[in-house]
Amino acid sequence: MSATASELTPVQVEVIGSALESICDEMGEALVKTSYSPNIKERRDCTTGIFNAGGELLAQAEHIPMHLGSLMGIVNAITDRYALEDIRDGDSFVGNDPHIGGGTHLPDIVLVTPIFVEGALAGWATNLAHHSDYAERGHEHIFQEGLRIPPVRFLRDWTYVPEVMDLILTNMQVPAERVADFNAQVAANRLGVARFREISEKYGPATIEAAGQELLDYTERKVRAGIREVPNGRYRFSDTFDCNELDEQLQLSVVMTVSDEHLDFEFTAPEQVRASINMVETALLATVYYAAKTVVGPDIPANGGLGRAISVSAPRGSVLNCVAPAAVNGRIQLCQRVVDLVHGALADAVPSRVIAASNGAVTGTQFSGTDPRTGRYYVYLETIGGGYGAGCAYDGLDGVQAHMTNTSNLPVEALESEYPLFVERYALIDGSGGEGEHRGGMGIHRQVRVEHDDCQCEVGMSRMLSRPWGLLGGTAGQSARLEKNGVVVPTGDVVHLSRGDSISAITAGGGGYGDPANRPKDVVLRDLREERIDSSTAERIYGVTNDENSGGAA
Amino acid sequence: MSWRVGVDTGGTFTDVCLYDDESKAIVVGKISSTPADPGRAVRDGVSALIARVVGADEAGGAMGRIDYFAHGTTVATNALLQGRGARTGLITSAGFRDLLELGRQRRPKLYDLEAQKPVALAPRDLRIEVAERVRYDGTVDTPLDLEEVRAAAVSLREAGVEAVSVCFLYSYLNPAHESAVRAVLEEELPGVFLSISHEVLPEFREYERLSTVIINSFIGPVMEGYLSRLRHGLAADGLRVEPKVTQSNGGVMSFVTAEKMPVRTVLSGPSTGVVGAARLSAQSGIDDIITFDMGGTSSDVALVTDARPTSATGMDLDGRPVRAPMLDINTVGAGGGSIAWIDDGGHLKVGPQSAGADPGPACYGRGTTEPTVTDANVVLGILNQESLLGGAMPIDASLSFAAVERLGARLGMSTLDTAQGIISVVTANMARAIRVISVQRGYDPADYALVAFGGAGPLHSARLAHELGMERTIIPQRPGALSALGMLMTDLRSDYTRTSITLVAPEQIPVFASTFDALSAQARDWFDAEGLAEGDRSLRWVLDVRYVGQNYEIGVEVPVEEVTEEWIALVAARFHSAHEKRYGYSTTSERVEAATFRVEAIGDAPQAAFPREPIVGADATAAVIGDRDVYLPEAGRRVSVPLYARDELRAGNIVTGPAVIEQYDTTALVLPGEEAVVDEYLMIVTRPSRGSDPSVAVASDERILSTKGQSE
Repeated sequence: MSATASELTPVQVEVIGSALESICDEMGEALVKTSYSPNIKERRDCTTGIFNAGGELLAQAEHIPMHLGSLMGIVNAITDRYALEDIRDGDSFVGNDPHIGGGTHLPDIVLVTPIFVEGALAGWATNLAHHSDYAERGHEHIFQEGLRIPPVRFLRDWTYVPEVMDLILTNMQVPAERVADFNAQVAANRLGVARFREISEKYGPATIEAAGQELLDYTERKVRAGIREVPNGRYRFSDTFDCNELDEQLQLSVVMTVSDEHLDFEFTAPEQVRASINMVETALLATVYYAAKTVVGPDIPANGGLGRAISVSAPRGSVLNCVAPAAVNGRIQLCQRVVDLVHGALADAVPSRVIAASNGAVTGTQFSGTDPRTGRYYVYLETIGGGYGAGCAYDGLDGVQAHMTNTSNLPVEALESEYPLFVERYALIDGSGGEGEHRGGMGIHRQVRVEHDDCQCEVGMSRMLSRPWGLLGGTAGQSARLEKNGVVVPTGDVVHLSRGDSISAITAGGGGYGDPANRPKDVVLRDLREERIDSSTAERIYGVTNDENSGGAA
Repeated sequence: MSWRVGVDTGGTFTDVCLYDDESKAIVVGKISSTPADPGRAVRDGVSALIARVVGADEAGGAMGRIDYFAHGTTVATNALLQGRGARTGLITSAGFRDLLELGRQRRPKLYDLEAQKPVALAPRDLRIEVAERVRYDGTVDTPLDLEEVRAAAVSLREAGVEAVSVCFLYSYLNPAHESAVRAVLEEELPGVFLSISHEVLPEFREYERLSTVIINSFIGPVMEGYLSRLRHGLAADGLRVEPKVTQSNGGVMSFVTAEKMPVRTVLSGPSTGVVGAARLSAQSGIDDIITFDMGGTSSDVALVTDARPTSATGMDLDGRPVRAPMLDINTVGAGGGSIAWIDDGGHLKVGPQSAGADPGPACYGRGTTEPTVTDANVVLGILNQESLLGGAMPIDASLSFAAVERLGARLGMSTLDTAQGIISVVTANMARAIRVISVQRGYDPADYALVAFGGAGPLHSARLAHELGMERTIIPQRPGALSALGMLMTDLRSDYTRTSITLVAPEQIPVFASTFDALSAQARDWFDAEGLAEGDRSLRWVLDVRYVGQNYEIGVEVPVEEVTEEWIALVAARFHSAHEKRYGYSTTSERVEAATFRVEAIGDAPQAAFPREPIVGADATAAVIGDRDVYLPEAGRRVSVPLYARDELRAGNIVTGPAVIEQYDTTALVLPGEEAVVDEYLMIVTRPSRGSDPSVAVASDERILSTKGQSE
């Protein structure tokens, strides 16, 4: 059985699309459940995808939007380097380099496996896992940030190429974890290859190929349909960006042009900096596609057709479109601000379909040192969410991972057994959400005590010098800050800690939406009763006094 | 002369099954559910059925003849889904009162800016922190401050709570602090429903444990009230035995136990359907099945290997994690009422929106204008075009045609192709759900038979099996009442678990031995409490095992015997092979550790045994009641196919496809190239047609149906 695109029915495409997504889900489960490092097994900081033979992404498991950037162009980067006749069944390729292809920062290591059906290249099974390693590196330029891996062959006949493995492991600080995680990555791709072959046998390779093309067209049509509902025009938005590595704030702006079925984004941004927050072009594209998708169609498949109706530009050599040898490890902080910029521009066009600014960061603390219980060196990364922006119908979510990431936390009961750390507090911050008819989400206070000396804590934060904005009369959320033993830590990306020291990441709240005067009184009283706001806010902003609380609480 | 009774409360109907031990006769009754007081339909349904069996005059006192009574209920699940539970408070470790809302920090939907988190079942002002902290190794970091506990209890009392949860970090390692709080709460809050985390779920991962214990509190008073009222009501009606309620793990427990652990009943209804299907299939000699229960709005699927349903340790219910022993049931929004639509990219989609039972499909004529799966079946001619439910529900087929035609016009497809397209898409959705519980767990559906039940299951099972490469389907005799029937076939069961991360190595033999001994002792206490005879008791030991460094475990059954070096080696070997099966590789050089110990206590309940019917021969023509023009994509046109009455089919009959088999509560399609064989328990088994004279095929009798992998 085979078909050309014109012979395919919408039903066949739907059925094959469902099967491809099912394959990605299955690969994702295998990766998460067999990996060893907490960053993958519990925090699910990984993504899986299936590409067609030509290197277009057909389906991606819904894990982390940021990872789309790393998948973009990876297959072509491999086929540029290796002749097709040199690629065969049982090969796999590895890569992580943002400037050469296959990455947006070095810890995200991509594994790409060709799929052969009836002797011909039919597609690629791919996955990406964030390897929590590369501790205590510098961030002046990318050479400091860790081992750069260009797209190179990593397996032949399903066996690691020993010298490549050796080279990689020699450059890693926790090599045992790396090997186990690579094994999980290989297992996931092997599953993907087997499953893809099964559906190819069932429907015929030509039908799969044709259905894949139609899935990309389908996504494009859905994006265009969504854009048609946004009024034509030029919309502008500006914001500032601060982070713990920079003393000054960066000025960023965007002009968004909506013309019928097309969206154009033209960004202006300062020159790239000697810090980790620069974004490569694929990171920028993945970010804009994410932000646009949330508005034009949240259920549009995240595949290679997503960007066909969206054009994006930013000055080459700027922080939003950096060139080698810019450092990029903390690029996600800036990506979060780009989402805010896109939503800010869209707010003028379709105010009811966007939300106010979220906490604007992926607050990260990466602890490293020697565990006195085992004598072993460890690296532990945790990322902490914050407030989500409020929208026209709902309050912002309290204490969640926003936008470009959606990693899980590690349970305290797993964390403390694995690492010499002690969690003292994990709480929402009273009063941190912006006010409005709908309240911005609350930020998180996470306080961790270290139980050994010579602990290095590398920090990534933003929205310390500015606040996540509100919309249509809603006010801004509270800023973020970092504290060591209760004292605010000034700018800097590494904090040295000794046994007994506590470090607190205090993340920003989300912006509010709409006029606070329109917030129903009973909801204000509930917030007051639940200590999400204090009595002075209730009275001053919402005009609700504490006396009424006794009546409302009964 | 005694009876066994099973009662399953569903959203629309309450099904009652009565089995007479002596005559082995089964009587099934249906009564409208009474959602405001579900117990009324239970009592009325049982009384009505008894009156039907013995006559109204004899009905008084006849309840005393029931010597086994089991009940499946959705009271707990509905209270949770509708947010109508108890006013719930929480006492927790200092620094962690917001854990219930923070969860794992993930937002519910990646791209949907408006997706909401579930409402916290214990509101923030009723969550109180007290000074206390246990460390990762079970030692105390901060002692419990009893004064704070007392103050917390007083303030919860003043706030009028009906239920309180207690959840401290590491309570599964060191429960002392939680136990001390229980003592204070019992003094200060008499009559308040208490759920203590180490009692409800002594397992690690604090958020999942917290979520589970809070759900237990939230539904506790509702369930306690319901079960105790029903227990007393049934006793007043004359029931002399202790009634049982079905749990999510497919077993039953006494009402009194369920009143304390209602969280174990959240999958009560669907799990007994799975058990019923497993038992009935095993009776017919087929032990490896996938169950497929398709109703009006959704389908439930589960995998059964060697007649044993696959277990799971938890699920997400409406966005909230629940950890409790349960069957691994996957639910997908695909039912007879699922609506077909075209999205803005031009693709045909089916569900998850459903027209349900009211207003129902377009053909019900109650205002639905979009086509549903049922309408597609009407258009194709598989369903009766005049009425459903054996004539009880008249329909207007022209409304189905109009609805499907309108959709087809927008797709540029004929009405028939559109109707067949709706079936293909909904079949793909259901196939995906089955892949999750089979392929993703390392099992190939081709090795299983598909057991179809629920009102819409047998309509779709043939195509679904085909999609998954499965050769056989099974249609039980009463597909609409399988859950109630299943209750007559379940065991008593209770599960005991404890997390204790232990290296699978000879030096740990004492830990394995003492942990399993302790859990087995709890199981024996329960056997005693349930009054089970020694011969009716059995234990299973299961270890959740992983490679050192991994965080997800695979459950491995281990022998219930003295822990020796060989026993340890067996655990490791079984784990390596399970890992290989599930993920495609194993690493025998790596160290293996156990995370959670599980003891399943199973008490044999007296089980219904069904009579065998004599095999009368292959000729099924006596059951033909007409014919029907059915559109078959294989033929590319409408084909006149014979219509059979299920009730007239006799053991040994063979129906050659294409054919339609009708019965009161469902309709089954037999595809061209397949045949349906009626076995001696009146189950229908479909399989690829043997082509030749049907009488030859049946000559080898019932063994045909009971041999695995019998395809030629």
